[in-house]
Amino acid sequence: MTLLASAVATYGLRIVLITLVPAHRLPAVLRRGLPHLAPAALAGLVATALAGHAGPGALVAPGPTHLALAVAGLVAWRFRNPALPVLAAVVVAVAWEVLS
Amino acid sequence: MSGDGSRRHGPPMSITVRHTLRGGEVRTAVRDLAPVVLGLTPFALLIGVTAVRSGVGAGTGILGAPLLYGGSGQLTALTLMAGGAGLGAVLAGVSLVNVRFLLYAAALEPHFRGQPRWFRWIAPHFVVDPVYAMVTRRRELSGAELDDPVTFRRYWTTAGVGLGVAWTALTAAGALLAPVLPTSSALDVAAPAMFLAMLVPQLRTRPARVGAVTAAVVAALASSLPTGLGLLCGIAAGVVAATLTDRSPS
Repeated sequence: MTLLASAVATYGLRIVLITLVPAHRLPAVLRRGLPHLAPAALAGLVATALAGHAGPGALVAPGPTHLALAVAGLVAWRFRNPALPVLAAVVVAVAWEVLS
Repeated sequence: MSGDGSRRHGPPMSITVRHTLRGGEVRTAVRDLAPVVLGLTPFALLIGVTAVRSGVGAGTGILGAPLLYGGSGQLTALTLMAGGAGLGAVLAGVSLVNVRFLLYAAALEPHFRGQPRWFRWIAPHFVVDPVYAMVTRRRELSGAELDDPVTFRRYWTTAGVGLGVAWTALTAAGALLAPVLPTSSALDVAAPAMFLAMLVPQLRTRPARVGAVTAAVVAALASSLPTGLGLLCGIAAGVVAATLTDRSPS
């Protein structure tokens, strides 16, 4: 029941600006920001994962996750294939665990 | 039902271009989806493992995959349910975590405008970070290809259903393997690495770079806020910063 109610609420969030109140009816100032959403959302997701539950302090205390994501970033910059950065990050994380 | 609405609203395309693209979009979606599934595998396994180890149960964990269709929301629901939270608390927590889907939906809405009614009611269920990022990336690579409603519909459906099936299967695998899977940081690093892989190619313009840096800094600084709120603050700050930097004609 709890899961079903959560699913209905999430579906509501997904559908409201597509089917119920289409986004093209939003004010122009809001619509101007929408093309910039993807980089902001993706960067936010990466930063949130990096900071984790430890808060912003985790960003300045480098660990294996920082190293793995730095390598992933370099690989993503160099190669177009989106699978390679993931593989690189996992390899670095596993290697860190094995070596430490 | 406006069954053929796509043809009425779609942008003009030459017959040659239309025939080149259609039929290929399913293959393109599968090709785009493969690395995404690879990147999300550890995350899905982690959710299955969490469902079993937290005591919520494998069934609830697996059912959450197709119903909620979003890893962070599922993880929030499982964590709160395991802690004995009531319906209201779980609902609030999941909604807060998933409120970014509202923004994704707003950004994707032009693609849904010329679609049949059934598609506009059912397909938004697939609005989630990886599918949104796939569409954004495909738009970067192929220009106006996805502006054609039929092409978009096939691409979106293949990506959404494909990801849903893979996501549910991998969550189930995580639940089944929970007793034997070791705790590893490799499980934590794959999902952000996948988001990074999708982000980096989008950093070619100055507004995108300003928006990404601002979002990352604010999301990290606000990460101690209640579940999902820090991320939302980061995204909002990033979008505002990028919009203010953007001097291209609106």
